[in-house]
Amino acid sequence: MKSTFVVAVLLGFVGVLAAGHFVPWFPHVRLPSKTTVVANGGRGEQFIIRLPADRIAATGTSSAGLRVPNAAGGASLPPDLAAQPLLVEHFKVRDSSNNVIGIAARHWSTDASGTGTAWSLLIPSRGAMLLTAPGEARGALDSALQKAGYSAGSAWNGEVKVALAPDNDNAGVVAAGSDEFSGLEGRYTEVWTLTGVTDVGELRGTIELNTVTRRGT
Amino acid sequence: MKVVFVALLGLIVGAAAAGTVIYFNPLTESRAPEPDSSDRTLHYDLPGEVLGFTLGEHVLPPGTARIEGFWEETIDRTALLSLVLDGADDKPAAVASRLLAGSAATDFLLSGVLVSDYWLLTIPNEGTLFLRADSNVWPFLKQTLLPVWFFGRPWAGPADYRPTAGPGEEGVAVVMGATGRFAGLEGTAIENYRLTDLDPASRSVAAVGELHLRLGASQIAAGE
Repeated sequence: MKSTFVVAVLLGFVGVLAAGHFVPWFPHVRLPSKTTVVANGGRGEQFIIRLPADRIAATGTSSAGLRVPNAAGGASLPPDLAAQPLLVEHFKVRDSSNNVIGIAARHWSTDASGTGTAWSLLIPSRGAMLLTAPGEARGALDSALQKAGYSAGSAWNGEVKVALAPDNDNAGVVAAGSDEFSGLEGRYTEVWTLTGVTDVGELRGTIELNTVTRRGT
Repeated sequence: MKVVFVALLGLIVGAAAAGTVIYFNPLTESRAPEPDSSDRTLHYDLPGEVLGFTLGEHVLPPGTARIEGFWEETIDRTALLSLVLDGADDKPAAVASRLLAGSAATDFLLSGVLVSDYWLLTIPNEGTLFLRADSNVWPFLKQTLLPVWFFGRPWAGPADYRPTAGPGEEGVAVVMGATGRFAGLEGTAIENYRLTDLDPASRSVAAVGELHLRLGASQIAAGE
């Protein structure tokens, strides 16, 4: 009886310690990666954001135009920052099969050298990526929509493509990553395809982030 | 029957002993170094400077009112926090987006409860920084949240935490310049915060925190 008790104590002790060490406490659900092999080397992967469903929040100054509609859910910047050219957007991110796989933040700001854009993409089961590019011109989407016939305060339907990180100058860079994305180098493009604006200024369409990466040296 | 009872009792005693070891395990305490006085420091006030907060439905604390969070199974253990940070002059100086997810490196024996914490931090007219931090929330969970929030113990008052636990050497966060004057620069960061209020009855939490940045002395100096 005594030996039974001692063995049970040891089992309980070791079992709990082993669980504390070996159990995966944060098992993120992982969907198969929708990657493709690129002809000249590397792997391609497309991330998609559907508007307005995947917009979590947007915060920025009035110069951000339609990208910070009242319906976007973002809080107002304090007065000291409200005068600065700044746009902070948060989205859910989908794979090319339309499954939500992560969340993302996009920051656009200006500095002495011009404008800059940075994306932070987090796919919990795979890691995070930092994408950077020269920023688009202020009000780029609004200008493109107005050229296509949109006027403020009224609904608009059509199709406009705006490349905020175009592929012709290789400006969009996959700058850093963690976990599965650690050590990857590459390029990305960012294209907004807008198919509508509601009468309250809510954008409809998709954002496509196309990455081509390869293992760095 | 008696053997089964003795075995069960033994298992419970052994598990309780292991739980005590885990609770007092010094290896799971945060080990980030003290911030340096020359670091650039940004500070925040929660909830006063929160722009937005969305939590995965799987990590909502029990008893929390149902809110609209991340419900998709791939992101229901994540969180997204957007906040304003103040500079040395106590004026708003930066905006940060923090993408958080429970880390697979969580280990109750060696590292604690780790959260992968990715910051996108923009300082207008300067540029954007990307911070990659492993934050150990185990000291906060075991010393404050579990006993006060869930077991109804009285709160002992303000508590200080320095959750940064990597992934850099010596347990610091890794910083990478993304745009503007920070582009191409690298550095380190340490976060600490003081929990100033915790009231389970009203489900309210308040804290003040600091982010200490070190990114090339000539590029990002204290008090700039």
